[in-house]
Amino acid sequence: MKTKMDFPNINQRKPEGLREDGKAFRVLIVDDSMFVTKQIGQILTSEGFEIAATASNGEEGLEKYKELYPKVDLVTMDITMPIMDGVAALEKIIEFDKNANIIMISALGKQDLVKKSLLLGAKNYIVKPLDRKKVLERVMMTLK
Amino acid sequence: MRVEYINPFVEAAFNILTEVLKTEVKRGELYLKSSSMPVLGITAIVGLAGDVEGRVLFDMAEKTALEVASAMNGEKIDKNDELAKATITELANMITAQAVTKLHEIGFQFDLTPPAIFSGSNMEVTDVAIEALIVPIQTTFGKIEINVAIREKK
Repeated sequence: MKTKMDFPNINQRKPEGLREDGKAFRVLIVDDSMFVTKQIGQILTSEGFEIAATASNGEEGLEKYKELYPKVDLVTMDITMPIMDGVAALEKIIEFDKNANIIMISALGKQDLVKKSLLLGAKNYIVKPLDRKKVLERVMMTLK
Repeated sequence: MRVEYINPFVEAAFNILTEVLKTEVKRGELYLKSSSMPVLGITAIVGLAGDVEGRVLFDMAEKTALEVASAMNGEKIDKNDELAKATITELANMITAQAVTKLHEIGFQFDLTPPAIFSGSNMEVTDVAIEALIVPIQTTFGKIEINVAIREKK
């Protein structure tokens, strides 16, 4: 005799980029490298995150954050950028919104600037080279 | 030029290329270059100034650069466009950052210029005042030469 059983589908998991209500977390990427912006964008969109905007220097990043606010959940912030660097942009965004979730993206050897950023209110940091696992781990740690 | 300047660049190139290309990478034999030598096609240059001064070139054929950029982006890149250049720039940034961290740890203090990319055919590089050491790195996408000319500032 066959019995019909309902098993939970263990192969289906909720993408990391979606909230409980099914809406996507919205991310602002601030980086002067087209390559890094694309790389972070690809990793996050593949998990359901929405890239709300991108900016190629700190000043533009600050403007975009203010435009998007409060519909922005996370910022990835490069440290070394022209016009306004990532640490200065972080400081200004935190002045505007002390609860901003900002992750610093750093090259190796910038430990002093990473430390300074964490003291100024950055929630986390990732050291390049970036990969999917590293990015998603730090992003989820920051959003939880 | 002291070999201790070049080793951190070679180690960093080996580590970063292995990590981002996810392929086998082999280090070739180091050699000293003659005063002028041809450039392979697409070259990232980073300048150094401080306790030591000079420049580092990451030099490769265009075909190799496009294959490296394709591997790093996870998609086919068949021309030397903005994305290809941004990718090779980032590669040079990552290698240089790791090498410089090592050099700072052993006591050399200096600043770096952002990488610049130049590309073309029939180019050559000439270092009149500083001898250059070259380490070829063999990847499955072709050869990448790490060309380092650094001296201690007088």
